[in-house]
Amino acid sequence: MRFLARRLGFYLLTAWAAITLNFLIPRLMPGDPVELLVARMKGNVDPAAIDAMRRAFGISDASPWRQYLDYLGNLAHGELGRSITFFPTEVSTVIADSLPWTVGLVGVATLISYLIGTSLGVIMAWKRGTWLDGVLPGATFMHAVPYFWVALALVFVFGVTLQWFPVSRAYGLDVMPGLTGEFARSVLYHATLPAITIVLASMADRILGMRNVMVTTLGEDYVVMAEAKGLTSRRVMWAYAARNAILPNITSFALSLGFVVGGSVLTEIVFSYPGIGSMLLKGVENEDFPLMQGIFLVISLAVLVANFLADLAYVVLDPRTRQETE
Amino acid sequence: MSRPASRIAAVLAALALAGCSGGGAGGGGGSARSGGAPPLVIHAVDAGTFQEDFNPYHLEGVNFGTSGMIHETLMYFNKLKPGEITPWLALDHKWSNEGRSVTFTLRPGVKWSDGQPFTADDVAFTFQMLKKHPQLNRNALEIEGAEALAPDKVRLDFGATSYAKLFNIAGSSPIVPKHVWEKEKDPSTFTNPKPVGTGPYTLSKFSAQLYELVKNPSYWQPGKPEVPVLRFPAYTANALQTALRQGEVDWAGAFVPDIQKIYVQGKPEQNKFYFPPEGVVTLLPNLTNPVLAKPEVRAAMSLAIDRDKIVRVAERGYTKVAHPTGVPMPGGEAYVPPEYRDAAYKVDVEKAKELLKDVDPAQLKFTLLVPSPFTDWVNAAQLIREDLAKIGITVETRGVAFQDWVSKVGKGDYDLSIRATASGPTPYFQMRSMLFGGLAKPVGEAATGNYERWKDAETDRLIDAYAATEDETEQQKATQGLSKIMMEKAPTLPLFYSPSWAQYRTDKYVGWPSEQDPYAMPSPYTSPDAAVVLLRLKPAGS
Repeated sequence: MRFLARRLGFYLLTAWAAITLNFLIPRLMPGDPVELLVARMKGNVDPAAIDAMRRAFGISDASPWRQYLDYLGNLAHGELGRSITFFPTEVSTVIADSLPWTVGLVGVATLISYLIGTSLGVIMAWKRGTWLDGVLPGATFMHAVPYFWVALALVFVFGVTLQWFPVSRAYGLDVMPGLTGEFARSVLYHATLPAITIVLASMADRILGMRNVMVTTLGEDYVVMAEAKGLTSRRVMWAYAARNAILPNITSFALSLGFVVGGSVLTEIVFSYPGIGSMLLKGVENEDFPLMQGIFLVISLAVLVANFLADLAYVVLDPRTRQETE
Repeated sequence: MSRPASRIAAVLAALALAGCSGGGAGGGGGSARSGGAPPLVIHAVDAGTFQEDFNPYHLEGVNFGTSGMIHETLMYFNKLKPGEITPWLALDHKWSNEGRSVTFTLRPGVKWSDGQPFTADDVAFTFQMLKKHPQLNRNALEIEGAEALAPDKVRLDFGATSYAKLFNIAGSSPIVPKHVWEKEKDPSTFTNPKPVGTGPYTLSKFSAQLYELVKNPSYWQPGKPEVPVLRFPAYTANALQTALRQGEVDWAGAFVPDIQKIYVQGKPEQNKFYFPPEGVVTLLPNLTNPVLAKPEVRAAMSLAIDRDKIVRVAERGYTKVAHPTGVPMPGGEAYVPPEYRDAAYKVDVEKAKELLKDVDPAQLKFTLLVPSPFTDWVNAAQLIREDLAKIGITVETRGVAFQDWVSKVGKGDYDLSIRATASGPTPYFQMRSMLFGGLAKPVGEAATGNYERWKDAETDRLIDAYAATEDETEQQKATQGLSKIMMEKAPTLPLFYSPSWAQYRTDKYVGWPSEQDPYAMPSPYTSPDAAVVLLRLKPAGS
């Protein structure tokens, strides 16, 4: 229990640091949102109205310290303010509208990539020295290739040339959102290509990570012992070796779950997917402080929670962490 | 318009599209067909998703079509033919009290889309609201009061002479219904989800990816509009390139990197585009720099720059070299002194060198600041660098982030830069924003115009003279004086016109604006011009 309490204290401190950085970083960008708006809307807005707009957007000239205190106070009340880009929509609404798309797409894709990748890693370690090793150079290649490159290649081949899959948006234009089979089918159809992108690009990590740890574990005495006892190779592979080898992979999985919320910004941009990554890009382009702060906050909290869950999982899976207190 | 995003995305799209050919099945065409005439698919602004916002006084979140198609203005000003003003909800206007009051006579028989009559109360309410909520007053009108004198007469009072603001008052302030809006406590955050307007269309469907406007059956122009349904799908900049290629969009306002290949596809009669000037892009010299403050240095630079090449190479021929006064031509003739009407730029390196002979060559070193996402301006900057090197001026081009560029140019922290100037219904608006001394802020303070920081008593006198009269000839005379200053003193160096992007297909509807008939700005993102265009469209083949 003392272990958990200490971890919790650590997380609170990290959360405060993250919240403060969220406040600081957007303000380090040059320029200010209203100037940008005027520059972009050349001619459609009278520069003399700038003060009025500043007021409307809630941009204050107060000292940074005052703004920081206001920001903390608003956060305590769960207020994220109104977005400037999507004025007058509340930041919380923007996030609530886009988060499900990201969590749905990136979350499911991450899960699939984890399951397939880990199993492949286990099998490849078990059958090392066979033809399966041929997968390795491929995995190393995929490991090195950036997300968006895979995305562009898939768009080009399956979207534009073959036209098998749609290349943008989250569901068909003529489909009205709702709890209908048509909507669900449309969402799945549109998510296919971006999901494949994420699975392909992130699976290599899992395969390589799992295989390497597994190979080491297979040399351990207890594995030799299990084999000597005459257990089925299936049992040795999964219950003895894989179960022990999976620990580092759990950590990386928990971490990537945290980053699910951050989305795969580039994948979302290439596919015009209305997730949180696209919103973040909009926010950065427009120096939309409230929106950036809100999204960063959600992302950092998600990473912290995921880490915490990983810690908990360790306590359950690895008895050594429990003994530390004695 | 989110320009940097569209550029980056366009590059991505070009990558994705490179090497592919052939048309494709038009997926987004749509199923909703009412009557015989097909719906028109419009892309006004890059968006991944739409917010449900139809408040015409919001700046960016508001969905296109809100002003013009749903909420109308009192008059329509054609920016492509300065001085051409069409009565719209108001039949006429009369100034009084030395330009501090204006009385409008309203069009009889106009109804709101919910059946209520449109009256002077609605107009008075709209302007009172702008006074009460300065956040909505994006035209910066100095409203003192608004009073309905009769059901068809309304008088607006201003704190200052406002002749020059007629466009802002009557041409860009959409009228909202009092009986709906007076119930809203805070109109500045009101999103107007069920808009009631006098315009030719009403909102019929809204989702985050698509909204649809349908014909208002009781519209005051009988028999119009002839396009029954408008569909606005959400396309991001790169998705739009694919959509244009596949023929999903009938009317768009977008930068297309290779328009012949991506959009025209060998059918110039059907897949048309028209990019008329909307303001001018100039090479800004920072006049607080003592070397650039010398008129002969600016004149020499202007003589050395090959603008034809910039337009051909950097701008892909999508626009035209600016008239040396910066006034958009054709259309702006009356605002240019007769002796300069046929003036044009001509490169003359020898003369430029001659002008610089008394300037210490060691001083002729400048940095040219450009926003790196605007790839066309970056290319233009390289060409300018090469041209100026020929006359002994060393230019270092520096690309910075869009935000950084806005901030540095605003504060006067640069030597040379490239920037577009705001435009208006007459060239005066552009001149004022380029040259008015009142806009020149000290270096370090963000300016909202006159970024080169030009200060000249004669310029300010002419700008005041324009604003002090409602006589068109007097106004033209004042603007001619400003044009002369542009020609002779070169406070900033016009390069080329900023194009207004418009792609339209003629397979469903005809009657679009063109170079031969520029009756309105052709881009779907210009309000209320887009509504004026829609009212002129007729089904193809009829």
